[in-house]
Amino acid sequence: MRPNIASLSVLCCLPMTLLAQSARQEKTISLPARASVEAVSVSQTGNLIAAICSDHVVRVWSVSSGEPVRSLEEKNESPNAAQFSTDGRLLAVAYQIVQYEKGAIRVFDVDLWKEQYDLAAPFSMYALAFSPGKRRLAFSHLNTEIWDFGSGKNLTDISPPFGGSAAMSFSPDGKWVATADGDGFVRVYDANTGTLRGTPTEFLLEPLAVAFSPDGKTVLAGGADKVISIINPESGKVVRVFPRQSGLVSSLDVSANGKQAAVVYRSAESFVEANHVILWDLAKGTVLADFQKLGIVIVGGTFVSDHYVFVTASGNQLTLWSIP
Amino acid sequence: MLTRRDVLQKCVALGSVVIASQFSPEAMLAAFQDREKQVRQPTPPNELGPFYKRLTPVNNMLRAPGDPGMPLTLFGQVFDTRGDIVPGATIEIWQTNHHGHYDLNGYRYRGKLNVDKSGAYSFESVVPGHYPDRICQHTHYLVMAPGHRTLVTQLYFATDPVFEGDPTKNYARDPLLQTPELIRPVMLTGDPNEVHAKVQFELCLGRL
Repeated sequence: MRPNIASLSVLCCLPMTLLAQSARQEKTISLPARASVEAVSVSQTGNLIAAICSDHVVRVWSVSSGEPVRSLEEKNESPNAAQFSTDGRLLAVAYQIVQYEKGAIRVFDVDLWKEQYDLAAPFSMYALAFSPGKRRLAFSHLNTEIWDFGSGKNLTDISPPFGGSAAMSFSPDGKWVATADGDGFVRVYDANTGTLRGTPTEFLLEPLAVAFSPDGKTVLAGGADKVISIINPESGKVVRVFPRQSGLVSSLDVSANGKQAAVVYRSAESFVEANHVILWDLAKGTVLADFQKLGIVIVGGTFVSDHYVFVTASGNQLTLWSIP
Repeated sequence: MLTRRDVLQKCVALGSVVIASQFSPEAMLAAFQDREKQVRQPTPPNELGPFYKRLTPVNNMLRAPGDPGMPLTLFGQVFDTRGDIVPGATIEIWQTNHHGHYDLNGYRYRGKLNVDKSGAYSFESVVPGHYPDRICQHTHYLVMAPGHRTLVTQLYFATDPVFEGDPTKNYARDPLLQTPELIRPVMLTGDPNEVHAKVQFELCLGRL
Protein backbone atom coordinates (compact mmCIF):
# COMPACT_ATOMS: atom_id res chain seq x y z
CA MET A 1 0.00 0.00 0.00
CA ARG A 2 1.48 3.36 -0.89
CA PRO A 3 0.97 6.30 1.48
CA ASN A 4 -0.47 9.46 0.01
CA ILE A 5 -0.03 13.10 0.85
CA ALA A 6 -3.65 13.63 1.87
CA SER A 7 -3.70 10.89 4.46
CA LEU A 8 -0.26 11.86 5.78
CA SER A 9 -1.26 15.48 6.24
CA VAL A 10 -4.32 14.43 8.19
CA LEU A 11 -2.21 11.97 10.16
CA CYS A 12 -0.13 14.81 11.56
CA CYS A 13 -3.02 16.59 13.24
CA LEU A 14 -5.64 13.94 13.96
CA PRO A 15 -4.62 10.77 15.77
CA MET A 16 -8.02 9.22 15.09
CA THR A 17 -7.24 9.14 11.37
CA LEU A 18 -4.22 6.88 11.78
CA LEU A 19 -6.28 4.15 10.22
CA ALA A 20 -6.88 6.28 7.14
CA GLN A 21 -3.77 4.63 5.73
CA SER A 22 -6.01 1.72 4.90
CA ALA A 23 -7.63 3.60 2.04
CA ARG A 24 -5.83 4.85 -1.02
CA GLN A 25 -6.81 8.14 -2.61
CA GLU A 26 -7.23 7.45 -6.29
CA LYS A 27 -8.62 10.54 -7.90
CA THR A 28 -10.13 13.94 -7.21
CA ILE A 29 -12.87 15.47 -9.33
CA SER A 30 -13.98 19.09 -9.11
CA LEU A 31 -17.57 20.09 -9.70
CA PRO A 32 -18.74 23.48 -10.93
CA ALA A 33 -18.68 26.17 -8.23
CA ARG A 34 -21.74 26.08 -5.96
CA ALA A 35 -22.60 22.50 -6.98
CA SER A 36 -22.29 19.78 -4.40
CA VAL A 37 -22.94 16.06 -4.50
CA GLU A 38 -25.80 14.45 -2.63
CA ALA A 39 -25.36 10.79 -3.62
CA VAL A 40 -23.19 8.68 -5.86
CA SER A 41 -23.49 5.30 -7.56
CA VAL A 42 -20.29 3.51 -8.51
CA SER A 43 -20.49 0.98 -11.31
CA GLN A 44 -19.46 -2.49 -10.13
CA THR A 45 -17.41 -2.80 -13.30
CA GLY A 46 -15.37 0.08 -11.97
CA ASN A 47 -15.52 2.26 -15.04
CA LEU A 48 -18.11 4.93 -14.17
CA ILE A 49 -19.44 6.95 -11.27
CA ALA A 50 -22.73 8.86 -11.43
CA ALA A 51 -23.51 11.66 -9.00
CA ILE A 52 -26.74 13.38 -8.05
CA CYS A 53 -25.72 17.03 -7.80
CA SER A 54 -27.36 19.87 -5.92
CA ASP A 55 -27.87 21.82 -9.16
CA HIS A 56 -30.31 19.08 -10.35
CA VAL A 57 -27.81 17.58 -12.77
CA VAL A 58 -26.70 13.93 -12.87
CA ARG A 59 -23.02 13.95 -13.75
CA VAL A 60 -21.21 10.84 -14.91
CA TRP A 61 -17.42 10.50 -14.91
CA SER A 62 -14.94 7.93 -16.10
CA VAL A 63 -13.21 6.35 -13.11
CA SER A 64 -9.97 5.75 -14.97
CA SER A 65 -9.51 9.25 -16.37
CA GLY A 66 -11.67 11.34 -14.01
CA GLU A 67 -13.06 13.03 -17.10
CA PRO A 68 -16.78 13.81 -17.45
CA VAL A 69 -18.67 11.36 -19.64
CA ARG A 70 -22.21 12.65 -19.54
CA SER A 71 -24.50 15.19 -17.90
CA LEU A 72 -28.17 14.34 -17.58
CA GLU A 73 -30.39 17.33 -17.02
CA GLU A 74 -34.13 17.65 -17.40
CA LYS A 75 -35.93 20.97 -17.19
CA ASN A 76 -38.14 21.27 -14.11
CA GLU A 77 -37.04 17.86 -12.87
CA SER A 78 -34.92 17.13 -9.88
CA PRO A 79 -32.96 13.85 -9.65
CA ASN A 80 -32.85 12.29 -6.18
CA ALA A 81 -31.46 8.77 -6.64
CA ALA A 82 -29.26 6.91 -9.14
CA GLN A 83 -28.12 3.32 -9.40
CA PHE A 84 -26.06 1.33 -11.90
CA SER A 85 -27.13 -2.19 -12.81
CA THR A 86 -24.82 -4.91 -11.50
CA ASP A 87 -23.19 -5.34 -14.94
CA GLY A 88 -22.74 -1.57 -15.25
CA ARG A 89 -24.66 -1.38 -18.54
CA LEU A 90 -27.72 0.48 -17.25
CA LEU A 91 -28.13 3.55 -15.07
CA ALA A 92 -31.49 4.17 -13.38
CA VAL A 93 -32.22 7.72 -12.24
CA ALA A 94 -35.22 8.71 -10.12
CA TYR A 95 -36.56 12.20 -10.81
CA GLN A 96 -38.98 14.42 -8.97
CA ILE A 97 -41.21 16.30 -11.39
CA VAL A 98 -41.93 19.20 -9.09
CA GLN A 99 -44.55 20.89 -11.25
CA TYR A 100 -46.86 17.85 -11.16
CA GLU A 101 -45.78 16.44 -7.79
CA LYS A 102 -45.04 13.09 -9.35
CA GLY A 103 -41.93 11.12 -10.10
CA ALA A 104 -40.30 9.20 -12.92
CA ILE A 105 -37.56 6.64 -13.19
CA ARG A 106 -35.52 6.77 -16.38
CA VAL A 107 -33.23 3.91 -17.25
CA PHE A 108 -30.34 4.69 -19.60
CA ASP A 109 -28.11 2.43 -21.65
CA VAL A 110 -24.69 3.76 -20.66
CA ASP A 111 -22.99 2.68 -23.89
CA LEU A 112 -25.29 4.68 -26.14
CA TRP A 113 -26.67 7.05 -23.49
CA LYS A 114 -30.08 6.24 -24.82
CA GLU A 115 -33.12 6.16 -22.60
CA GLN A 116 -34.37 2.57 -22.45
CA TYR A 117 -37.29 2.88 -20.06
CA ASP A 118 -39.35 5.67 -18.60
CA LEU A 119 -41.35 4.46 -15.61
CA ALA A 120 -44.03 6.39 -13.74
CA ALA A 121 -43.12 6.62 -10.09
CA PRO A 122 -44.13 8.36 -6.89
CA PHE A 123 -42.68 11.77 -6.19
CA SER A 124 -39.91 10.89 -3.81
CA MET A 125 -37.66 7.84 -3.98
CA TYR A 126 -35.63 6.49 -1.09
CA ALA A 127 -33.71 3.73 -2.83
CA LEU A 128 -33.20 1.90 -6.13
CA ALA A 129 -31.88 -1.64 -6.62
CA PHE A 130 -31.30 -3.72 -9.75
CA SER A 131 -31.51 -7.49 -9.69
CA PRO A 132 -28.45 -9.33 -11.00
CA GLY A 133 -28.91 -9.79 -14.72
CA LYS A 134 -30.75 -6.44 -14.78
CA ARG A 135 -34.10 -8.09 -15.28
CA ARG A 136 -35.74 -6.22 -12.45
CA LEU A 137 -35.61 -2.91 -10.67
CA ALA A 138 -36.92 -2.32 -7.17
CA PHE A 139 -37.70 1.20 -6.11
CA SER A 140 -38.78 2.35 -2.74
CA HIS A 141 -40.81 5.26 -1.50
CA LEU A 142 -43.51 4.56 1.08
CA ASN A 143 -44.09 1.33 -0.80
CA THR A 144 -41.56 -0.78 -2.62
CA GLU A 145 -42.40 -1.65 -6.20
CA ILE A 146 -40.66 -4.22 -8.34
CA TRP A 147 -40.54 -3.56 -12.06
CA ASP A 148 -39.83 -6.37 -14.51
CA PHE A 149 -38.16 -5.17 -17.70
CA GLY A 150 -38.96 -8.35 -19.64
CA SER A 151 -42.71 -8.12 -19.24
CA GLY A 152 -42.80 -4.34 -18.89
CA LYS A 153 -44.95 -4.78 -15.81
CA ASN A 154 -44.94 -3.85 -12.19
CA LEU A 155 -44.65 -7.30 -10.61
CA THR A 156 -45.60 -6.45 -7.10
CA ASP A 157 -45.98 -3.74 -4.53
CA ILE A 158 -44.55 -4.68 -1.16
CA SER A 159 -45.44 -2.18 1.51
CA PRO A 160 -44.26 -2.18 5.08
CA PRO A 161 -46.98 -0.92 7.42
CA PHE A 162 -45.33 2.49 7.50
CA GLY A 163 -42.06 4.27 6.91
CA GLY A 164 -41.02 2.79 3.55
CA SER A 165 -37.76 0.97 2.90
CA ALA A 166 -34.36 2.58 3.28
CA ALA A 167 -32.54 -0.12 1.32
CA MET A 168 -33.21 -3.20 -0.79
CA SER A 169 -31.15 -6.10 -2.11
CA PHE A 170 -31.97 -8.86 -4.57
CA SER A 171 -30.76 -12.42 -4.10
CA PRO A 172 -28.19 -13.49 -6.72
CA ASP A 173 -30.86 -15.39 -8.69
CA GLY A 174 -33.23 -12.40 -8.54
CA LYS A 175 -36.00 -14.49 -6.98
CA TRP A 176 -35.96 -12.81 -3.58
CA VAL A 177 -35.69 -9.26 -2.42
CA ALA A 178 -34.73 -8.14 1.07
CA THR A 179 -35.88 -4.77 2.39
CA ALA A 180 -34.70 -2.69 5.36
CA ASP A 181 -37.92 -1.09 6.55
CA GLY A 182 -38.65 2.06 8.53
CA ASP A 183 -40.90 0.20 10.98
CA GLY A 184 -37.88 -1.66 12.35
CA PHE A 185 -37.96 -4.92 10.40
CA VAL A 186 -35.94 -6.61 7.69
CA ARG A 187 -38.24 -8.51 5.36
CA VAL A 188 -37.50 -10.97 2.58
CA TYR A 189 -40.10 -11.30 -0.18
CA ASP A 190 -40.66 -13.45 -3.22
CA ALA A 191 -39.80 -10.89 -5.92
CA ASN A 192 -42.40 -12.32 -8.31
CA THR A 193 -45.39 -12.34 -6.02
CA GLY A 194 -44.53 -10.11 -3.09
CA THR A 195 -45.19 -12.98 -0.69
CA LEU A 196 -43.31 -12.62 2.58
CA ARG A 197 -40.72 -15.35 3.01
CA GLY A 198 -40.45 -16.54 6.60
CA THR A 199 -40.71 -14.23 9.56
CA PRO A 200 -39.51 -10.63 9.46
CA THR A 201 -36.34 -10.00 11.41
CA GLU A 202 -36.81 -7.59 14.29
CA PHE A 203 -34.59 -4.65 15.03
CA LEU A 204 -35.43 -2.02 17.61
CA LEU A 205 -34.34 1.02 15.64
CA GLU A 206 -34.59 1.37 11.89
CA PRO A 207 -32.45 -0.94 9.76
CA LEU A 208 -30.81 1.26 7.14
CA ALA A 209 -28.76 -1.24 5.11
CA VAL A 210 -29.33 -4.71 3.74
CA ALA A 211 -27.34 -6.97 1.42
CA PHE A 212 -27.70 -10.54 0.20
CA SER A 213 -24.53 -12.62 0.33
CA PRO A 214 -23.30 -13.71 -3.13
CA ASP A 215 -24.36 -17.31 -2.46
CA GLY A 216 -27.85 -16.17 -1.48
CA LYS A 217 -27.72 -18.11 1.78
CA THR A 218 -27.59 -15.16 4.16
CA VAL A 219 -28.69 -11.55 4.39
CA LEU A 220 -26.60 -8.95 6.16
CA ALA A 221 -28.45 -6.07 7.77
CA GLY A 222 -27.63 -3.15 10.03
CA GLY A 223 -28.88 0.26 11.00
CA ALA A 224 -29.52 2.67 13.82
CA ASP A 225 -29.19 -0.15 16.40
CA LYS A 226 -25.42 -0.12 15.64
CA VAL A 227 -25.38 -3.85 15.02
CA ILE A 228 -24.67 -5.97 11.96
CA SER A 229 -26.82 -9.07 11.89
CA ILE A 230 -26.45 -12.05 9.62
CA ILE A 231 -29.88 -13.44 8.88
CA ASN A 232 -31.16 -16.70 7.47
CA PRO A 233 -33.48 -15.41 4.72
CA GLU A 234 -35.74 -18.46 4.90
CA SER A 235 -36.49 -18.34 8.61
CA GLY A 236 -35.80 -14.68 9.29
CA LYS A 237 -33.72 -15.74 12.27
CA VAL A 238 -30.50 -13.96 13.15
CA VAL A 239 -27.73 -16.54 12.95
CA ARG A 240 -24.89 -14.28 13.97
CA VAL A 241 -24.33 -10.78 15.30
CA PHE A 242 -21.15 -8.80 14.90
CA PRO A 243 -19.72 -6.89 17.86
CA ARG A 244 -21.51 -3.61 18.58
CA GLN A 245 -20.52 -1.09 15.94
CA SER A 246 -19.14 2.36 16.54
CA GLY A 247 -21.84 4.15 14.56
CA LEU A 248 -25.12 3.77 12.76
CA VAL A 249 -24.77 1.25 9.94
CA SER A 250 -25.60 3.29 6.86
CA SER A 251 -24.64 0.98 4.00
CA LEU A 252 -23.43 -2.58 3.57
CA ASP A 253 -21.70 -4.15 0.57
CA VAL A 254 -20.49 -7.73 0.33
CA SER A 255 -17.54 -8.67 -1.89
CA ALA A 256 -18.14 -11.02 -4.82
CA ASN A 257 -16.33 -13.86 -3.06
CA GLY A 258 -18.49 -13.36 0.02
CA LYS A 259 -15.49 -13.01 2.30
CA GLN A 260 -15.60 -9.30 3.05
CA ALA A 261 -18.18 -6.66 3.89
CA ALA A 262 -17.67 -2.93 3.59
CA VAL A 263 -19.71 -0.97 6.12
CA VAL A 264 -20.24 2.79 6.07
CA TYR A 265 -21.18 4.40 9.37
CA ARG A 266 -23.10 7.52 10.28
CA SER A 267 -23.06 9.47 13.50
CA ALA A 268 -26.13 9.38 15.75
CA GLU A 269 -25.43 12.96 16.79
CA SER A 270 -25.48 14.15 13.18
CA PHE A 271 -27.00 11.80 10.66
CA VAL A 272 -25.38 13.48 7.64
CA GLU A 273 -21.96 12.79 9.12
CA ALA A 274 -20.88 9.64 7.23
CA ASN A 275 -17.12 9.67 7.29
CA HIS A 276 -16.20 6.20 8.47
CA VAL A 277 -15.87 2.92 6.58
CA ILE A 278 -14.66 -0.44 7.88
CA LEU A 279 -13.81 -3.49 5.83
CA TRP A 280 -14.76 -6.63 7.77
CA ASP A 281 -13.58 -10.20 7.39
CA LEU A 282 -16.93 -11.95 7.48
CA ALA A 283 -15.66 -15.38 8.53
CA LYS A 284 -13.49 -14.16 11.41
CA GLY A 285 -15.46 -11.05 12.34
CA THR A 286 -12.25 -9.02 12.35
CA VAL A 287 -11.43 -5.61 10.91
CA LEU A 288 -9.37 -5.70 7.74
CA ALA A 289 -9.27 -1.99 7.09
CA ASP A 290 -10.59 1.13 8.75
CA PHE A 291 -10.87 4.60 7.26
CA GLN A 292 -12.20 7.72 8.94
CA LYS A 293 -11.63 11.32 7.98
CA LEU A 294 -13.18 14.46 9.36
CA GLY A 295 -14.69 17.00 7.01
CA ILE A 296 -15.80 14.57 4.34
CA VAL A 297 -19.00 12.66 3.65
CA ILE A 298 -18.99 9.18 2.12
CA VAL A 299 -21.59 9.44 -0.63
CA GLY A 300 -21.37 6.01 -2.28
CA GLY A 301 -19.29 2.92 -2.82
CA THR A 302 -19.19 -0.63 -4.11
CA PHE A 303 -16.91 -3.61 -4.51
CA VAL A 304 -15.08 -3.63 -7.83
CA SER A 305 -13.71 -7.16 -8.24
CA ASP A 306 -11.81 -7.72 -4.98
CA HIS A 307 -11.42 -4.18 -3.66
CA TYR A 308 -13.83 -1.66 -2.22
CA VAL A 309 -14.15 1.64 -4.07
CA PHE A 310 -15.89 4.56 -2.41
CA VAL A 311 -16.44 8.23 -3.04
CA THR A 312 -16.27 11.10 -0.57
CA ALA A 313 -17.55 14.62 -1.01
CA SER A 314 -16.27 17.82 0.49
CA GLY A 315 -17.67 21.07 -0.84
CA ASN A 316 -17.60 20.88 -4.60
CA GLN A 317 -14.92 18.22 -4.67
CA LEU A 318 -15.31 14.46 -5.04
CA THR A 319 -12.56 12.08 -4.08
CA LEU A 320 -12.34 8.48 -5.18
CA TRP A 321 -10.74 6.04 -2.72
CA SER A 322 -10.03 2.35 -2.78
CA ILE A 323 -9.36 -0.24 -0.10
CA PRO A 324 -7.37 -3.12 -1.56
CA MET B 1 -72.11 25.73 25.79
CA LEU B 2 -73.82 25.80 22.42
CA THR B 3 -73.53 22.77 20.21
CA ARG B 4 -72.76 23.17 16.54
CA ARG B 5 -76.42 22.38 15.84
CA ASP B 6 -77.52 25.11 18.28
CA VAL B 7 -75.29 27.58 16.51
CA LEU B 8 -76.72 26.66 13.13
CA GLN B 9 -80.29 26.93 14.39
CA LYS B 10 -79.46 30.35 15.81
CA CYS B 11 -78.02 31.34 12.44
CA VAL B 12 -81.29 30.34 10.79
CA ALA B 13 -83.28 32.33 13.36
CA LEU B 14 -81.12 35.42 12.83
CA GLY B 15 -81.13 35.12 9.07
CA SER B 16 -77.44 34.49 8.60
CA VAL B 17 -78.37 31.14 7.11
CA VAL B 18 -81.32 31.14 4.73
CA ILE B 19 -82.84 27.81 3.81
CA ALA B 20 -84.54 27.79 0.44
CA SER B 21 -85.43 24.17 -0.09
CA GLN B 22 -88.36 21.80 -0.12
CA PHE B 23 -86.67 19.90 2.75
CA SER B 24 -87.10 20.78 6.40
CA PRO B 25 -84.60 23.12 8.07
CA GLU B 26 -83.60 20.24 10.36
CA ALA B 27 -82.79 17.99 7.42
CA MET B 28 -80.86 20.75 5.67
CA LEU B 29 -78.88 21.59 8.81
CA ALA B 30 -78.04 17.95 9.35
CA ALA B 31 -76.89 17.65 5.75
CA PHE B 32 -74.86 20.86 6.14
CA GLN B 33 -73.17 19.46 9.22
CA ASP B 34 -72.42 16.19 7.46
CA ARG B 35 -70.93 18.03 4.49
CA GLU B 36 -68.79 20.14 6.80
CA LYS B 37 -67.46 17.02 8.43
CA GLN B 38 -66.57 15.53 5.08
CA VAL B 39 -64.22 18.34 4.14
CA ARG B 40 -61.77 17.67 6.98
CA GLN B 41 -58.45 16.93 5.37
CA PRO B 42 -56.04 14.27 6.64
CA THR B 43 -53.08 15.63 8.58
CA PRO B 44 -50.21 16.02 6.12
CA PRO B 45 -47.62 13.24 6.38
CA ASN B 46 -43.98 13.99 7.03
CA GLU B 47 -40.79 11.94 7.07
CA LEU B 48 -40.44 9.09 9.57
CA GLY B 49 -36.74 9.86 10.06
CA PRO B 50 -34.17 7.26 11.08
CA PHE B 51 -34.80 7.21 14.84
CA TYR B 52 -38.18 5.56 15.26
CA LYS B 53 -37.83 2.83 17.89
CA ARG B 54 -40.05 -0.20 18.22
CA LEU B 55 -41.56 -1.37 21.50
CA THR B 56 -41.84 2.08 23.01
CA PRO B 57 -43.58 1.60 26.38
CA VAL B 58 -47.00 3.08 27.07
CA ASN B 59 -46.17 6.31 28.82
CA ASN B 60 -47.24 9.89 28.36
CA MET B 61 -44.86 11.47 30.89
CA LEU B 62 -41.70 11.89 28.86
CA ARG B 63 -39.87 14.40 31.04
CA ALA B 64 -38.35 13.52 34.37
CA PRO B 65 -38.07 15.89 37.35
CA GLY B 66 -35.12 18.20 36.88
CA ASP B 67 -34.81 17.66 33.14
CA PRO B 68 -33.50 20.77 31.41
CA GLY B 69 -35.76 22.57 28.97
CA MET B 70 -39.15 24.23 28.96
CA PRO B 71 -41.94 21.89 30.05
CA LEU B 72 -44.26 21.14 27.16
CA THR B 73 -47.73 19.64 26.94
CA LEU B 74 -48.73 18.24 23.56
CA PHE B 75 -52.44 17.61 23.31
CA GLY B 76 -55.30 17.25 20.87
CA GLN B 77 -57.84 14.83 19.47
CA VAL B 78 -57.82 12.22 16.76
CA PHE B 79 -60.47 12.56 14.05
CA ASP B 80 -61.14 10.93 10.73
CA THR B 81 -61.85 12.78 7.52
CA ARG B 82 -65.59 12.81 8.28
CA GLY B 83 -64.88 14.63 11.51
CA ASP B 84 -65.74 11.64 13.66
CA ILE B 85 -63.69 10.87 16.74
CA VAL B 86 -61.36 7.88 16.29
CA PRO B 87 -61.43 5.93 19.52
CA GLY B 88 -58.86 3.19 19.86
CA ALA B 89 -56.15 5.09 18.04
CA THR B 90 -52.58 4.58 19.22
CA ILE B 91 -50.16 7.51 19.18
CA GLU B 92 -46.40 7.23 19.48
CA ILE B 93 -44.18 10.27 19.69
CA TRP B 94 -40.42 10.67 19.82
CA GLN B 95 -38.17 13.68 19.86
CA THR B 96 -34.81 14.96 21.02
CA ASN B 97 -34.21 16.17 24.52
CA HIS B 98 -33.60 19.84 25.26
CA HIS B 99 -30.04 19.51 23.94
CA GLY B 100 -31.03 18.05 20.57
CA HIS B 101 -30.05 14.42 21.26
CA TYR B 102 -32.18 11.39 20.48
CA ASP B 103 -31.97 8.53 22.97
CA LEU B 104 -31.02 5.48 20.92
CA ASN B 105 -30.07 3.32 23.89
CA GLY B 106 -33.28 3.67 25.89
CA TYR B 107 -36.68 5.29 25.58
CA ARG B 108 -36.16 8.82 26.93
CA TYR B 109 -38.41 11.29 25.15
CA ARG B 110 -40.30 8.46 23.52
CA GLY B 111 -43.89 7.80 24.51
CA LYS B 112 -46.97 5.93 23.48
CA LEU B 113 -50.63 6.01 24.48
CA ASN B 114 -54.05 4.87 23.44
CA VAL B 115 -56.49 7.73 22.97
CA ASP B 116 -59.56 7.77 25.19
CA LYS B 117 -63.22 7.59 24.11
CA SER B 118 -63.26 11.28 23.31
CA GLY B 119 -60.32 10.79 20.94
CA ALA B 120 -58.20 12.99 23.21
CA TYR B 121 -54.52 12.60 23.97
CA SER B 122 -51.81 14.46 25.83
CA PHE B 123 -48.09 13.99 26.39
CA GLU B 124 -45.87 15.77 28.90
CA SER B 125 -42.44 16.54 27.46
CA VAL B 126 -40.04 19.45 27.02
CA VAL B 127 -39.66 21.68 24.00
CA PRO B 128 -37.23 19.67 21.83
CA GLY B 129 -33.80 21.02 21.04
CA HIS B 130 -32.40 21.41 17.54
CA TYR B 131 -31.08 18.13 16.12
CA PRO B 132 -27.88 19.19 14.31
CA ASP B 133 -28.97 17.96 10.87
CA ARG B 134 -32.39 19.53 10.96
CA ILE B 135 -33.30 23.13 10.60
CA CYS B 136 -36.41 23.01 12.78
CA GLN B 137 -37.30 21.73 16.23
CA HIS B 138 -39.81 18.94 15.79
CA THR B 139 -41.64 16.06 17.44
CA HIS B 140 -42.32 12.87 15.48
CA TYR B 141 -45.81 11.33 15.50
CA LEU B 142 -46.95 7.86 14.47
CA VAL B 143 -50.73 7.40 14.66
CA MET B 144 -52.43 4.09 13.97
CA ALA B 145 -56.07 3.06 14.22
CA PRO B 146 -58.01 0.11 12.80
CA GLY B 147 -59.77 1.01 9.56
CA HIS B 148 -57.65 4.11 9.02
CA ARG B 149 -54.49 4.98 7.18
CA THR B 150 -51.41 5.06 9.38
CA LEU B 151 -50.16 8.61 9.80
CA VAL B 152 -46.45 9.37 10.03
CA THR B 153 -45.84 13.05 10.56
CA GLN B 154 -43.98 15.67 12.53
CA LEU B 155 -45.13 18.60 14.63
CA TYR B 156 -43.25 21.89 14.36
CA PHE B 157 -43.31 24.88 16.69
CA ALA B 158 -44.30 28.37 15.56
CA THR B 159 -41.84 29.80 18.09
CA ASP B 160 -38.89 28.17 16.30
CA PRO B 161 -36.44 31.01 15.56
CA VAL B 162 -36.04 29.79 12.00
CA PHE B 163 -39.56 30.99 11.16
CA GLU B 164 -38.82 34.50 12.41
CA GLY B 165 -42.34 34.71 13.76
CA ASP B 166 -43.95 34.08 10.37
CA PRO B 167 -44.29 30.33 9.76
CA THR B 168 -46.65 30.81 6.82
CA LYS B 169 -44.00 32.74 4.97
CA ASN B 170 -40.88 30.94 6.15
CA TYR B 171 -41.90 27.30 6.54
CA ALA B 172 -39.97 26.21 3.43
CA ARG B 173 -36.68 27.05 5.10
CA ASP B 174 -36.75 23.44 6.24
CA PRO B 175 -36.68 21.35 3.05
CA LEU B 176 -38.63 18.59 4.78
CA LEU B 177 -41.50 20.92 5.52
CA GLN B 178 -43.90 21.08 2.58
CA THR B 179 -46.74 22.87 4.35
CA PRO B 180 -47.19 25.34 7.22
CA GLU B 181 -50.09 23.19 8.50
CA LEU B 182 -47.71 21.17 10.64
CA ILE B 183 -46.43 24.27 12.44
CA ARG B 184 -48.55 24.90 15.51
CA PRO B 185 -48.85 27.94 17.77
CA VAL B 186 -47.33 27.69 21.21
CA MET B 187 -49.33 28.79 24.26
CA LEU B 188 -47.31 29.90 27.25
CA THR B 189 -48.89 29.33 30.65
CA GLY B 190 -47.77 29.47 34.25
CA ASP B 191 -45.86 32.40 35.67
CA PRO B 192 -42.49 33.98 34.87
CA ASN B 193 -40.81 31.63 37.35
CA GLU B 194 -42.26 28.52 35.79
CA VAL B 195 -43.25 28.99 32.19
CA HIS B 196 -44.98 26.02 30.59
CA ALA B 197 -45.59 25.60 26.87
CA LYS B 198 -48.72 23.98 25.45
CA VAL B 199 -49.28 22.98 21.86
CA GLN B 200 -52.52 21.68 20.43
CA PHE B 201 -52.10 19.33 17.49
CA GLU B 202 -55.30 17.84 16.11
CA LEU B 203 -54.73 14.68 14.12
CA CYS B 204 -56.90 13.60 11.22
CA LEU B 205 -56.60 10.12 9.77
CA GLY B 206 -57.69 9.08 6.29
CA ARG B 207 -60.13 6.17 6.18
CA LEU B 208 -59.21 2.91 4.51
